Amino acid sequence: MKTILLLEDLPEIRVWLRKLVLQVFPGATISESARVQDATALVAAVKFDLALIDLGLPDGSGVDVVTRLRDLQPDAQSVVVTIHDDDEHLFPALQAGAFGYILKEQARELITEQLQRISQGEPPLSPSIARRVMAYFSAKTRPQAQNSLLPNVNLTDRESEVLLRVAKGYTLPEIGVQLGLSRHTIADYVKQIYRKLNVSSRAEAALEAQRLGLFR
Amino acid sequence: MVRATPSLPKCDRRILRTSRRAWRPLFALWVAAIWLLAGDPALAELDNDGVQVLRSAVTALGPEGTFPIGTPTLRVSLPDEWANSRPGYRGTVWYRLSFTQPAPGQPGAPQPGDMLALWIDRVCSNAEVHLNGRLLARGGRMALPYTHHCNHPMLVTLPDALLLQGDNVIELRVAGHALASSGSRLRAGALSVLRVGPQSVLAARHARVTALQVEGPMAASAVLLLTGGFMFVLGYRYRRVSHLAYFGALCVGWALLNVRLWWRESPLGHTESEFVSVCLVGFTAWAAVQFLLRYGGLRVKLVDRALPAQTALLALSLLAAGPNRLHDVATVWYPVLAFEVGTAALWHVMRRKSTRSVWMMAPLLAGAALAGVLELGVQWAGWPAGAGFAAELLVPLVLAMVGLRLMQQHGHALQRAEQGRQALEQRVREATAEIERNFRQLAELKVEKVTEKERKRIAADLHDDLGAKLLTIVHTSDSDRISTLAREALEEMRLSVRGLTGKRVSLADAMGDWRAEIIGRLGQAGIEGQWDAPEDLPHLLSARAFVQTTRILREATSNVIKHSNAARCTITVQLADGDVQIVVTDNGDGISSEVEGRLDRGHGLASMKGRAKQLQGQCLVESSPGYGTVIRLTVPLDRATESASTETAGR
Repeated sequence: MKTILLLEDLPEIRVWLRKLVLQVFPGATISESARVQDATALVAAVKFDLALIDLGLPDGSGVDVVTRLRDLQPDAQSVVVTIHDDDEHLFPALQAGAFGYILKEQARELITEQLQRISQGEPPLSPSIARRVMAYFSAKTRPQAQNSLLPNVNLTDRESEVLLRVAKGYTLPEIGVQLGLSRHTIADYVKQIYRKLNVSSRAEAALEAQRLGLFR
Repeated sequence: MVRATPSLPKCDRRILRTSRRAWRPLFALWVAAIWLLAGDPALAELDNDGVQVLRSAVTALGPEGTFPIGTPTLRVSLPDEWANSRPGYRGTVWYRLSFTQPAPGQPGAPQPGDMLALWIDRVCSNAEVHLNGRLLARGGRMALPYTHHCNHPMLVTLPDALLLQGDNVIELRVAGHALASSGSRLRAGALSVLRVGPQSVLAARHARVTALQVEGPMAASAVLLLTGGFMFVLGYRYRRVSHLAYFGALCVGWALLNVRLWWRESPLGHTESEFVSVCLVGFTAWAAVQFLLRYGGLRVKLVDRALPAQTALLALSLLAAGPNRLHDVATVWYPVLAFEVGTAALWHVMRRKSTRSVWMMAPLLAGAALAGVLELGVQWAGWPAGAGFAAELLVPLVLAMVGLRLMQQHGHALQRAEQGRQALEQRVREATAEIERNFRQLAELKVEKVTEKERKRIAADLHDDLGAKLLTIVHTSDSDRISTLAREALEEMRLSVRGLTGKRVSLADAMGDWRAEIIGRLGQAGIEGQWDAPEDLPHLLSARAFVQTTRILREATSNVIKHSNAARCTITVQLADGDVQIVVTDNGDGISSEVEGRLDRGHGLASMKGRAKQLQGQCLVESSPGYGTVIRLTVPLDRATESASTETAGR
């Protein structure tokens, strides 16, 4: 029996999403929230398995809730549900620990399928997000950016290969065929990429916070 | 030139003419009488030009209009300095001399048409000339205050009518002052030797001596007065060049010392004018010392105070001593002043030893020192008056040279200042241009920033407002058609926003996005997609081109999925002649011409073509029923983006 957090400010969409989630995870307990403040309180009080988090909310950004959830409940899975499809909005959420994203306007069947995939550990990855991830890691490996205080999180060659192909517009099944790997293995690579992005970003953020604290 | 003119009134001449005959015997008698008294004409010596030089005279004291008879006489040799022959005497002294008129043909006789003349190269302060008892000429006022005639030689033409064959008698009445009451020996009573000879010869000498003793110093004084005044004002206004002010004061002081050359009939009495003269000497010494120190770059407060005090003390000491001891006091002061100026000059030369200007200043100062020595020699050692006149000429010459040098330096300084000002102006112009440029850049940057911010705000508004409403329609509408339309509208909105935020997209990235979308959608629709594109795509697309091309490709894909019933769809990308060519081929039903017309709205073919046209590209649709559809889209990569892309690639 799953416990699910649903953070969405538009009432009609919230209702619609709730129905959809119940369809995918029958019998799940769903906590609804329309504001970042309420969601943060819920995260502190209730243990969740899954959280569907909108980004643009009246009292702030869903990214904060993602961060909070990651801090308090590392096992909970955050999925960004948003109207923004651009990497400028999505990438920070992924860095904060979101495991995949869903574009809200898509057809019910499509969202259902994506939600199932994500919960099975197969998060989506668009070419533009892949490019951002590549840029992030290549900037990190530059000599002047290296910092001995940071955990040395780097992508393996295979992970980089998968990222590069995603960036070129190949679908995950296509990449599996090209590399002679199973669909599950490719999905694992993507999962690893998500994880590493999150670990590395959070370590950096912590270091940055510490630095600001030291110098304040 | 000022020349003593024969001062015979017209009526006198008429009397002379009408009564010559009657006068003659009396005249001869008178000449015979004085013959015994006057010097022996045979003793008269001749100089190189045959001019007689008269060195001996009989003197008598007396103010009367004729040589006093019956008073004691004294034989003196010329030149006669009263300071030696009659110390302390002030008033008029009569001199009687005799000479022989040279017979025609004898040396010293005037050529036909010429006349005989008497030349006195120095008489102080003034004299009148009588020939054989007749008044011939007068240098000016013979009553107090006497006309100051000390620098002026006198040339008096001796009229034939008054000359006697053989011996003639000249009587001079000389008015003069005692040395004791004069600041300078050159202004004390004195008479030089007398010369009698042809007028033409003596006039030349007269002119020469006048030039040296009168005209030269006068011209120099005028120059000094002007330049000195100018420099004084300049130095007074700009304290940084205060040496100019002192130099100006020195020049003006010197010019004032010589003012009696211009102004011989001074209303001031001798005592007053001598007092002023000596005080002026003190003043010029003050100015000279300060000039030398300041010009050498030294400014001493003590000296600044001591020198005016000294000048005041000089004046006070003169007043205290009284007019009759003026010379005694002055001759004490002169060496002191000379010593001060000399020391300052020496210091100046030593100080400026290493500079180039010392080669200019040292000789000039040496000249001034020579003048000083000459002047002191005249005052103390009784050197001839010529030495004093030489000094009087030398000093203004030196001053004029120094003045020229100072002006040249000042001119240089002005020129440098002007150059400096121009350089500064240039720098200011450059700095202004730089500031303006920076400001413009800043303004542009600011505009860009503001624009960017505004775009982001609009984008956020669109998403939050329009996006939320469209989304609600998508998921709440019962009609699939409306849901689809709303979804499409949402996607359109996103693309518009993307075009609005306007960043250029690399062609390779665009290809990745297009491939993922098209192949993904075809795959979902159960159509086998194939994508052929070159790997190496270093070009950039403008945001607009990217957005429009995305729309066209999206429409084309939708057509394949919705209308074609195709099993396969191939997308080929090629680069040719600065264009991107994208060909979408499907193996579906194709579009019949009538369907094309009827269903145009649904297929969106017209809008695809229109969008391609907007990008200066084209979109061609080739289709026939049963043979599938080929859409050829050509989008130009404009040169600007191309060059920008090579630029980016080069980085």
